[in-house]
Amino acid sequence: MPALQTLTWSDTWYLAPEIVLSIAAILLAVVDLFLPKRINRDVIGWLTLVGLIAAAVFVVLQLLSLGSGAPTDSSPGAYNLLAGSYRIDDFGNLLKLVFLGASAFIVFSSLGTVRDEDVPIKGELYYLILPAVLGAMVMSSSGDLITLFIGLELLSITSYVLVATRKRSRISSEAAFKYVVTGGVASAFILYGMSFLYGVTGGTNLLALLKEITPALENYEALLYISFFLMIAGFAVKLALAPFHAWAADVYQGAPTPVTAFLAVVAKGAAFAMLYRIFMNTAFFTMGTEGTMKKDIFLGLTVLAAAAMIVGTVGALRQRNVKRLLALSGVANAGILLTPLALSLTEFHASLFSEFLYFLIAYAFMNIGAFSVLTIVSRDSGNESLTGFAGLYHRAPWTAAAMTILLCSLAGLPVTGGFFGKLFILFGTVQTHTYWLSAILLVTTVVSYAVYFAFIRQMYMRSGALDSGLRMSAPAAITIWICTLATLALGFLPMPILDWIDQIFSIPTDLLLRG
Amino acid sequence: MSTFFAEHAWLVPVFPLAAFAILTAMGRGLKKTGAWIGTIATFVSFVMSLCIAIERVSGSAPDYSRQIDWLQIGNLRLGAGFEVTNLTALMLVIVTLVGFLVNLYSQGYMKDDERISTFFAYVALFTSSMLGLVLSDNLLTFYIFWELVGVCSFLLVGFWFQKPEAKAAAKKAFIVTRIGDLGLLIALLLLFWYMPGHALDFTTIHNVFDTQGGAISTGITTLIALLIFLGAVGKSGQFPLHVWLPDAMEGPTPISALIHAATMVAAGVFLVARTFDIFEASQAAMNTVAIIGAFTAIFAASIGLAQNDIKRILAYSTVSQLGYMMLALGVDNMPAAMFHLFTHAFFKALLFLGAGSVIHSVHTQDIREMGGLGRKMKITAWTFGIGALALSGIPPFSGFWSKDAILTAALDKQPILFVVGVVAAFFTALYMARLFFLVFVGKPREGQHAKESSSVMTIPLIVLAVLATVAGFVETPFNGWFGQWLTGDEGQHHVSGLVMVVSAAVGLLGLYIGWLMYVKGTIRRDVVTSRMPGLVHLLERKYYIDELYGILFVKPLQGIGKALEVFDDYVVDGIVRLTGYSVSALGRLNSRLQSGQVQAYALTALIGIVILLLAIAGRRFW
Repeated sequence: MPALQTLTWSDTWYLAPEIVLSIAAILLAVVDLFLPKRINRDVIGWLTLVGLIAAAVFVVLQLLSLGSGAPTDSSPGAYNLLAGSYRIDDFGNLLKLVFLGASAFIVFSSLGTVRDEDVPIKGELYYLILPAVLGAMVMSSSGDLITLFIGLELLSITSYVLVATRKRSRISSEAAFKYVVTGGVASAFILYGMSFLYGVTGGTNLLALLKEITPALENYEALLYISFFLMIAGFAVKLALAPFHAWAADVYQGAPTPVTAFLAVVAKGAAFAMLYRIFMNTAFFTMGTEGTMKKDIFLGLTVLAAAAMIVGTVGALRQRNVKRLLALSGVANAGILLTPLALSLTEFHASLFSEFLYFLIAYAFMNIGAFSVLTIVSRDSGNESLTGFAGLYHRAPWTAAAMTILLCSLAGLPVTGGFFGKLFILFGTVQTHTYWLSAILLVTTVVSYAVYFAFIRQMYMRSGALDSGLRMSAPAAITIWICTLATLALGFLPMPILDWIDQIFSIPTDLLLRG
Repeated sequence: MSTFFAEHAWLVPVFPLAAFAILTAMGRGLKKTGAWIGTIATFVSFVMSLCIAIERVSGSAPDYSRQIDWLQIGNLRLGAGFEVTNLTALMLVIVTLVGFLVNLYSQGYMKDDERISTFFAYVALFTSSMLGLVLSDNLLTFYIFWELVGVCSFLLVGFWFQKPEAKAAAKKAFIVTRIGDLGLLIALLLLFWYMPGHALDFTTIHNVFDTQGGAISTGITTLIALLIFLGAVGKSGQFPLHVWLPDAMEGPTPISALIHAATMVAAGVFLVARTFDIFEASQAAMNTVAIIGAFTAIFAASIGLAQNDIKRILAYSTVSQLGYMMLALGVDNMPAAMFHLFTHAFFKALLFLGAGSVIHSVHTQDIREMGGLGRKMKITAWTFGIGALALSGIPPFSGFWSKDAILTAALDKQPILFVVGVVAAFFTALYMARLFFLVFVGKPREGQHAKESSSVMTIPLIVLAVLATVAGFVETPFNGWFGQWLTGDEGQHHVSGLVMVVSAAVGLLGLYIGWLMYVKGTIRRDVVTSRMPGLVHLLERKYYIDELYGILFVKPLQGIGKALEVFDDYVVDGIVRLTGYSVSALGRLNSRLQSGQVQAYALTALIGIVILLLAIAGRRFW
């Protein structure tokens, strides 16, 4: 093991996005504290947005400096900092961009939409997004179990607070409490699993672990099984995979809608990032006797993916509360997002990350768009029930049209990003001959039409109680339209994006931490 | 040579599409402005198309095409793109010009309609899809636009959905053309399967069938050609799928002019022309096209003789004229077909718009209830007369030249079809004479207060009348400019004095007999009715084709439908109910887990991981 390096000045350039977010978070907390009460906290929201965009710019600069294709001397594939415990590579940068972009849209769309009566501490709602994203970024950019776990806790603990920001709402406090408990259970599972891994290998650095894992396999096979399955359980809770998903509906319902969108997109994406980091560098190399262990671990993930698709879709069918419905739809989508990883990396299936990232991007756009529409509609109708959408077409035809496109994407209908996202993942299941999973993916997709068409029926074929126009803030409208257009763009031009990911991403340096 | 406009040809369908989006989004409040949005958008497209055409006429500009990869899965790539050739440039001008005039005309015709902006939105969407179809550089996108055009036709035929006839007609149009569409789809799949590299673009199709004969076996080529032709038969209302087109006259009259006379029905002819290389590779397919075309020409013209609804006469006339175009394609003379398409678009749009002007004024469509309108509606009468002369093939109007080109080609290849064409031309002149004289000449009916339509309606008539007069001069037996421009080679251009004399003579003869019967009265009107009532009845009932289809297809299908309904009620519904029941049972189980008790959640998670661990990892240790 190399001696622990300390942080040098030159490293700060590589850590610029994280540093920007940290400074912004601290500054805004202070500003919020000293800003007179009468000043609208939306100004904090705008500053948060600036912080997120600044961080994103640094990420883009690093993405460019890393270059594309095979690593060379002038553009290495990755930078290892602090003896490999932190790592700047394309995997992390691409995901960081998704997280920052998604958070920026979420903050932007809530400007002027979140009401003081609902969230009395609006300033906190905005600036606490910053440490949460920071946690997500650490999770996607670490090469060490301890750093990864710290990122996870930073994200989780901030999220608990964010869920509770509807201070006067009993349901919000309850949701936050449940989230603390289940989130704590999940962290415990993960940490317990990690401690077994440390116990049998004696290391926490992913690269170091790798060397120890084969000898450990011979002596401590059962312990390794327990270790990996404990981690699977922990991540399953974080990702809201069935049967570990029960908290999601309660928490999504209780949280302010922008926070719900954040949990659905960023928190989920970050948990996936960490899962990729750990499993592709440990479980993937547990060859053992005839590679049975590796097969078992990935089979476990596949089973969870299938269970999530089934339970999420079936559960959503009976939901009338839109936030709970979208929570369960998120469970099904988590199953789909897990599929590329669960199918593992084989000679027939090398595109796992591009499949995952493409669907994640599509999923981010359609969810943020749908949640933004929900925010506006529920604010207008005063409840979060499906009937709030009744007659939307007659009141706001454009918004109804945008929502229709977003719903088509969620349902996986052409020509949308959701369609191609699911299609690419479906190809993955076919390439690896996991036909039973293809069947489940297809059947649950068809069943899910019933879920999403319930909205369309309400919007177009029912007449609502209100017939005045829909009031919406400009940022929310812009967000909805950007998300809708992006969803369509992903549907009409899937290839450029996929090609771009493939061009940037390299499996040995970015997924498997070589070099 | 400059290709500036050709490079931006993709903009042509974008303007009407934008108009459609605007009208759909905020149509309800717009009304009059909405109508102008549609009109202006088509006008801009027209100007653009005209520039493209001029660019191509003025110099021998190379064909311009551009593709993007739309989707690539493994080795399979699907492209999307557009192509500008002389053929597409010609079609662009026809579609946008007629579209623009119809838009203008509709401002008058539809001005009292509640849903006027919806109407203009549909028309804009139709125009855009039709232009997309014309510009497509491959069969797949062509097919997508082909279906879109069909949808627009459905929407517009059923525009007055309060009328049960309109609803039924819309349904009929959609279902009957679907039969043809299915043929085209199968042809597309076959092509996809057999083409080298699964290419579907027209350029590759041209290369494969024109130059590398034998790459695809003759049998398959014939099959593909016939299936494509089936698609064309459905869209262009050829026998035996012609039944929908006369019924489609339930739609607003401007639509009949735009869709069911000048543009969409021509899509079938355009399809055959676009994939002409496939047809040229199979003599059997060519013969089929020629025979079906000629038969439809005479068959529909004979029905036209005995109809009394002004729009239905024109509809059968359209079917008959499209038959001429198919005949021209079948005798291997694509320029003649496109030439007739070009002239027909103008004079048939003119006739329909004229008919609309009449209907708008007297509120009936039955020609027996009209008469003497010529004096009150001077412009309509004069322009309609010009259209009728052009359709009847009287020199020097445009229809004469294009029909002459087709008949010359037919005489060259299949003299028997030439005879059929000549007889059909006689029928054409006769029914047009009957129509014109009954409506515009004679004594005015009592109680009818006809008056000339407003200028937004008459201006398009005048423009079209001018075009119907002069459009024929681009290609005469003495001047083969059009054919040469379209195909790029000299040839195929014979002067046949015989054909010119015969075709002019039968046209004049038809008009003369019509004049004797309906104006002069020298021949009694019931001369045929009294001698051969059976024949007249047969024609009036349109050869009982609809009834025949009713017995052959509709009734049995309804029977099967009934049987399936029973099956559906008991077996399928049973399964559905079972599925629904089990899904909701699962849902209930799910809600039971979802008790809101956080300790229950943690317990579920724990049980879940234990089961997972035991089931997957446990089996290794036991």
